[in-house]
Amino acid sequence: MTVVIIGGFLLRIPKLSILEHTARNLYYHVPMWFTMLAAAGFSAYHSYKSLRTGSLIHDIRAEEASRLGIFFGILGLVTGSIWARYTWYVGQGIWWNFDPKQTLAAIGVLIYGAYFVLRSTIEIPRIRARISAAYNLFASATLPLLLYVLPRQLDSLHPGAEGNPAFSEITHPLMRLVFYPACIGFIGLFYVLYTQRVRVAQLKDQLAPQWEDD
Amino acid sequence: MTFSPIIIIQDAQEAQDAEASDGISTSYDSTWTAEQIPEQPPLGTERFMLAQDKIFVVLAVVLVIWFGIAYFIHRTDRKLLDLEKAAAERTKGESIRE
Repeated sequence: MTVVIIGGFLLRIPKLSILEHTARNLYYHVPMWFTMLAAAGFSAYHSYKSLRTGSLIHDIRAEEASRLGIFFGILGLVTGSIWARYTWYVGQGIWWNFDPKQTLAAIGVLIYGAYFVLRSTIEIPRIRARISAAYNLFASATLPLLLYVLPRQLDSLHPGAEGNPAFSEITHPLMRLVFYPACIGFIGLFYVLYTQRVRVAQLKDQLAPQWEDD
Repeated sequence: MTFSPIIIIQDAQEAQDAEASDGISTSYDSTWTAEQIPEQPPLGTERFMLAQDKIFVVLAVVLVIWFGIAYFIHRTDRKLLDLEKAAAERTKGESIRE
C-alpha cells in the first residue's frame, strides 16, 4: 500500500484537460468502490451460508463485511464529491451534483444502512440472523444494477456512461501498473479490518453468553 | 429564488446545445452538459486546491481515506478495550467466588 501511495503521486501520467493531476484519484477513489463490492460479495456469501447452515458465525461475518462495505462506500462518496467539487465544478461550489452514479451509489449505501436498522430491531439472535440474511441477499442483488447497469444508461461524469469512453479505452498502461495493486491493496486492507472485527465480535459473544440464550 | 432574464436565456441556450449534440436524448443536467458555464474566479479554498495542477485535490482525497481508516481502526480498538474490561471483571468475579 505504501508503494501504491508513493507511485500514485510520483509516476508520470498522461495529462488531460480538466482532470490534470486529479486523474490520480483513479488510484484512490475507484478502489473504494471495488472494495465495497468485494465486501458486499463476502457479506452475501456469508448470508447465504448462514441461511444454509443456520450457524451464527456466518451471521457475524456477514454483518462485519457489510459494515466494512458501507464504510468504504461512504469513503467513496466523500472522495468522489471532493473530486467533482474541485475539478468539474470550479467556481460553482456544487458539492453534490446528482450524477446518476453518485445518486445510485448513495441509494446503495442507504440500502445497506437499512440492513443495520433491520438488525437492530430484532433481539433474538437466531431470528435476526435469518431475516437479515434474506434481506442482505436482496441488498447485494441491487448493487450491480445500481452501480453498473443503470448509470450506463444515463449521462454521467463517470466512465462507461453514454458518450464517455469506458475504462479500458482511456486508461494508460502505466496507470494500470498502480491502479491494479491499489485495488488489491485496498481489498487486502478490507480483509484485515474485517477479520479483526469478526474476531472482536466473536469474543464479545463468548464473553456475554447470557445474551445469546433466548 | 430569483431568476434574472439573462439566466433564463442562458438555460434555454444550454438546453438547445445539449439536444443538438445528441439528437435523441435531452440533457440530463444542464449544468454540466453545457459548454458555457458562468464561472467565478477561484476564491478561498479553490485557489489552494487548484494550485500546481490540482494536485491538492488528490491530497484531500487521500487524507479523507487515511483518516477514515484511522477512525475505523480506532473504533475497533475501543471495542476491544471494552471487551478487555469485561473479561477482567469476569475473572475478578470468579476469583471472588472461589
